[in-house]
Amino acid sequence: MRQTTAYFLAQLKRAIRLLPGQVMADLLVCVCAGALACLLISQGAAAAKGSRYRIGMVGDLSASYLGYGMAAVQEMDDSRFMIELVPMSEQEAEAAFWRGELYAVMRVPEGLLESIVYGENDRLITYTATQGQQGLGTMVMGEITDLASTLVTCSQSAIYAMQRTLADQGRGEEIGRETDKLNLALINLVLSRGDFGEVEVLGYGDGLSLELYYFCGMILLFLLLSGLLNSALFVHGNGVFSCFLKARGVGAFRQILGEYPAYLMLVTMGLFILCPPLGFGLARGLLGIPEWEGMGAAPFLSFLPVLIPVAVMLAAMQFFLFEAAEGIVNGILLQLLSGIGMGYLSGCFYPSAFFPEKMRALGEILPSGAAARFMQAGALGRIPAELWAAVFGWTGVFLVLTILVRKSRMTGWL
Amino acid sequence: MDVEIKGIRKAYARKKVLTDISFSMEAGSCAAILGSNGSGKSTLLSILAGVRKADGGSFFYRGNDLLRCPGQIPKALGYVPQGDPLLEELNAWDNLRMWYDRKTLQRELAEGALKLLGIDGFLKTPVRRMSGGMKKRLSIGCAVVSRPGILLLDEPSAALDPVCKENIRSYLEVYREEGGIVLMVTHDAQDLELCDMCYILRDGTLQPWEYGGDFHKLAEKLRETPEKCI
Repeated sequence: MRQTTAYFLAQLKRAIRLLPGQVMADLLVCVCAGALACLLISQGAAAAKGSRYRIGMVGDLSASYLGYGMAAVQEMDDSRFMIELVPMSEQEAEAAFWRGELYAVMRVPEGLLESIVYGENDRLITYTATQGQQGLGTMVMGEITDLASTLVTCSQSAIYAMQRTLADQGRGEEIGRETDKLNLALINLVLSRGDFGEVEVLGYGDGLSLELYYFCGMILLFLLLSGLLNSALFVHGNGVFSCFLKARGVGAFRQILGEYPAYLMLVTMGLFILCPPLGFGLARGLLGIPEWEGMGAAPFLSFLPVLIPVAVMLAAMQFFLFEAAEGIVNGILLQLLSGIGMGYLSGCFYPSAFFPEKMRALGEILPSGAAARFMQAGALGRIPAELWAAVFGWTGVFLVLTILVRKSRMTGWL
Repeated sequence: MDVEIKGIRKAYARKKVLTDISFSMEAGSCAAILGSNGSGKSTLLSILAGVRKADGGSFFYRGNDLLRCPGQIPKALGYVPQGDPLLEELNAWDNLRMWYDRKTLQRELAEGALKLLGIDGFLKTPVRRMSGGMKKRLSIGCAVVSRPGILLLDEPSAALDPVCKENIRSYLEVYREEGGIVLMVTHDAQDLELCDMCYILRDGTLQPWEYGGDFHKLAEKLRETPEKCI
C-alpha cells in the first residue's frame, strides 16, 4: 500500500506540474467557446430579424384574386415574418433556386382559375430543396409553403364560387359587396388562426427550457472534450513504466488506483475553471435561463455538486480511451471523435428530442447520455436512483476495462 | 547454485517463443543473453521479473521458486527494462521517492548504491532534461531499492556514450563483488567483457557460448539465428 500511495503522490505531482498548462488551455477553450457562442447568438438573432424564406411564385399569376391571396399572406398573415413570396418568371426562378436565393418555388399551373371556377380544386405545385437537405428547417418550411398554398387556393376558390353562385341566382349587383364581405371573413380567419389551438411547449430533456438544456449540454461537451485538454498526462506514458511497476509489485489495479485520481483532479480543475464565468453570467442574468431567473448564482452553486459524479464517470471513460488507444496521437484522435460523436448523439448540439427514435435510444444508452440525463435531472433538483446507478455503473465498467487493458498490455496480449 | 532456472516455456497463441530455458548462476556471477531480434530475450527477462507469466518451468533463488511466489520477486530482484521507467515531468529525487522512503534515500545517496551510480549529482534535474546515461543510472537506482540479490538488465548500454557505459560498468562490478547476480540482455562488446558466461537464445532454448573477445565471431554466430517477429 505504501508504494501505491507513493505512486499516487508522484502522479499527483505530475498533474500539478502540468496544471498551469492545463489551466491556460482550459481558459483558452472557455474564451474561444464563449466568443463563438456570442457570435453565433448575435448572428442568429440578426438573421432571424432580417431574413425571410423567399419562395418564388411562377406560372399563371394573372388572376386578380390570386394576387389578392398572395397579398394577404404577405401583408396580414403571421407567416409574413418568415416567408416572402416573389412573383417571377420560370427562368428567373430556376436560376435563383439553383443559386440558393430561393428556398422553394411554387408553380401555379395554366388554367388554374378555370378549374377553380368550375369547382376543381387543383393545388399549386411546390418544388422544394432535395431530400438530401431534409432537416427540421425543411420540414417547417414545407408546412409553411403548404399553408401559403392552401390559403391562396382556398381564398380564390371561395371568391369565385361565391361570384358564380350570385351570378347564377341573378344577383350580379351584390357581387362587389359580397366579395368584400368574404374577403374580410377570410382575412379574419387567416389572422385569427393562431387562436384555433394552443401550442404547449413541454420543454427538452425532462421538461427543461431550451436555455437550461443547452447550459447542461455545453458543460457536458466541455467535459467530454476535456480528454483532449488533459492529454498531457499521457504524453510520456509508456508500457515500460507499467512493466517496471509490475516488477516492483505494483500490479494493474494498484497502478490505476494511483493514476486515475490524478487524472480526475485535472478534469475537475478544468471544470472549476469553467465555473466562475458561468456563475458570473448567471448572476448577471446574461444566460437567460428561465428556471433560474432572478435567483442569481445560487441555483448554479447548488447545481455544482451534480457535476462531480459526471466528471468522475467521464474521466474514467477518457482514462480508458487513452489506455485502449495505441499511442498518444491515436488517443487524442479517439478522444476527439468520441467526444464529438457522443456529444452529438446525446444532444449537446441539437436537442435529442428531434432525433429519430433509434438514435435517441442509442444516445440515452451511451455514457454521455447517462451524463446528460443526470445533469438535466440535477438541474431540476431530482435525480432518480437509476441515474445514479447508471453513472456509477459506467464509472465502474470503464475502470475495470482500463485495468484489464493495462494487464493485457503488460502480459503481451495486446 | 544461487539461481536455478529450469524448463521455462512461453507461447503467444500458437507461437512458441521459449521452449525450454534452463541455466544456473552463482552469487557474484554475471551472464549475458544474446540473440537476434524477436528471439524472446526480453520476454525471458520479463518472465523472470514477474511481469509476464510463464507457461511452465521454475525459477529458484535461494531455495524459493519465484514463479510460484511472485510476491517475493520485488525483494529478490531488480529489473531494468530497455526503455527508461521514469516519470518525465519529475526530477530524479521525485522519481526515487516513489521507491525509497526519505531516510533510506538519503542514506543511499550518501554512501550506498545511488552514490556509486552518481545520482547525487543530478537530483534536481527533471528527467526530460537528462542525458541517456543519467536516465539509465537513475533507472538502475530505482530498480535496486530493495538491495536485490539479482539484477536483470535489458540492453543496459544501448545508445550510451563510453563514459556512461563505464559508469554503469563500474557500478555492476561493485554489485557483483558484493555477491549480486547480474543477468543482462546485451549485444555490446564492453558489456560482454564483464560477463562470466554468455548464452545465445535460439529456437526457444539457451545455448552456452564462449565469447572470447571476438566481436566478429559474435556477429557470425548471431547471423545463424534469423530475426523473427513475435
